[in-house]
Amino acid sequence: MPDGADYKELSRRYGFAPKPESASRLTLLVSRQDSDLEEITKVIDKDPALRKRLLRVANPDAENEAEYAIETVEEALMRNGMGCVLVLAMSTPLAQALTKSFLTMLSLKLENIDRNEAEPLEGEHLLGTIGFSGKVEGRVYLRMNLNSARAIAAGILGMSPGELTDTNEIRDAAGELLNIMTGNFKSNLCDAGLDCRLQTPEVKLSSDFRTPSVPGGGLEHLAFRAGNIQLSVDVTANPWIEN
Amino acid sequence: MPKKILSVDDSRTIRLIVGRALRPYDCVLCEASNGEEGLAVAAREKPDLILLDVTMPVMDGVTMLTKLKEDAELKAIPVIMLTAESGRDNVINIARLGVRDYLVKPFKEDQLLEKIGRSVPLQKKEAAPAAASAPGPVAAAAPTA
Repeated sequence: MPDGADYKELSRRYGFAPKPESASRLTLLVSRQDSDLEEITKVIDKDPALRKRLLRVANPDAENEAEYAIETVEEALMRNGMGCVLVLAMSTPLAQALTKSFLTMLSLKLENIDRNEAEPLEGEHLLGTIGFSGKVEGRVYLRMNLNSARAIAAGILGMSPGELTDTNEIRDAAGELLNIMTGNFKSNLCDAGLDCRLQTPEVKLSSDFRTPSVPGGGLEHLAFRAGNIQLSVDVTANPWIEN
Repeated sequence: MPKKILSVDDSRTIRLIVGRALRPYDCVLCEASNGEEGLAVAAREKPDLILLDVTMPVMDGVTMLTKLKEDAELKAIPVIMLTAESGRDNVINIARLGVRDYLVKPFKEDQLLEKIGRSVPLQKKEAAPAAASAPGPVAAAAPTA
């Protein structure tokens, strides 16, 4: 049976939501080791949000656009390589899954904000991490302060934050959020032929703000806000790892 | 006779959400936190429906589903996958093993109830006296009526 047709039929039967098209297309292009730089440039140039994010990723130390040393998509791709494009392709379904999780599980509209607009996290916070390995290798870091973590867990469980005293429930809810985000981008990667396995998520209290980058790979910092809740997500990834 | 539903998920959060969604209905919720436990509870309780996650420690959902379908006594139990993974190969493989339905996380409670209701008839509990108010979902693996 043709798998593509099977999947279309199954998606219809199960009522799956359509996947983000530009992310799928970009992942497919990245997955081809002979992919054409011009073709990738065209896809990114057509999507202003992707273009903006690529330039942000390519200029990690810049405070704002005026400080960008790398100003074009082509230059960003030449200097930063495919790892950079891969994190963009991964972050799109990840951000959509996170936004959808907030809307469906907490009835909250989560906004993707610029990292510089986010209030900096200080001291002890909740850190959730999940690694993935296979044809793509990397890690996702989800960070939030303890009040945000409590509000999220309480919202998901239908309680008020004051009622929630069990820290294990707070950690479990953060772990599930991480699972949902990464499960969604893993599907996107696997569909493009970049098979990978997710490791078991770890959620703990931490005061460590480091996000180790993968050698030769890309790193994207994302920030989100919904009322008093603030989250930061770091994604590191490197394609072409064969295990 | 209340319907027996088994939720197999390593996330207590998801099991709590399932329990909350089913609370108004006349059914018994059994729980397991991985595929191995899930098979043991399924063999013991013979649930009317299984809600099954994919990525779990010890034994994942695909392995549990494979073993379930190999077991003459359990293979007829309908299974709804409840997972964040909707990759093409995974979905096709799981569909070929035989599942009743597939719900991608995150989900709304009414979507879950609609899918459950297509597999097992859900009936609202009759109004009970306040002192005997409805119990929540059954913790751990052992169900109670």
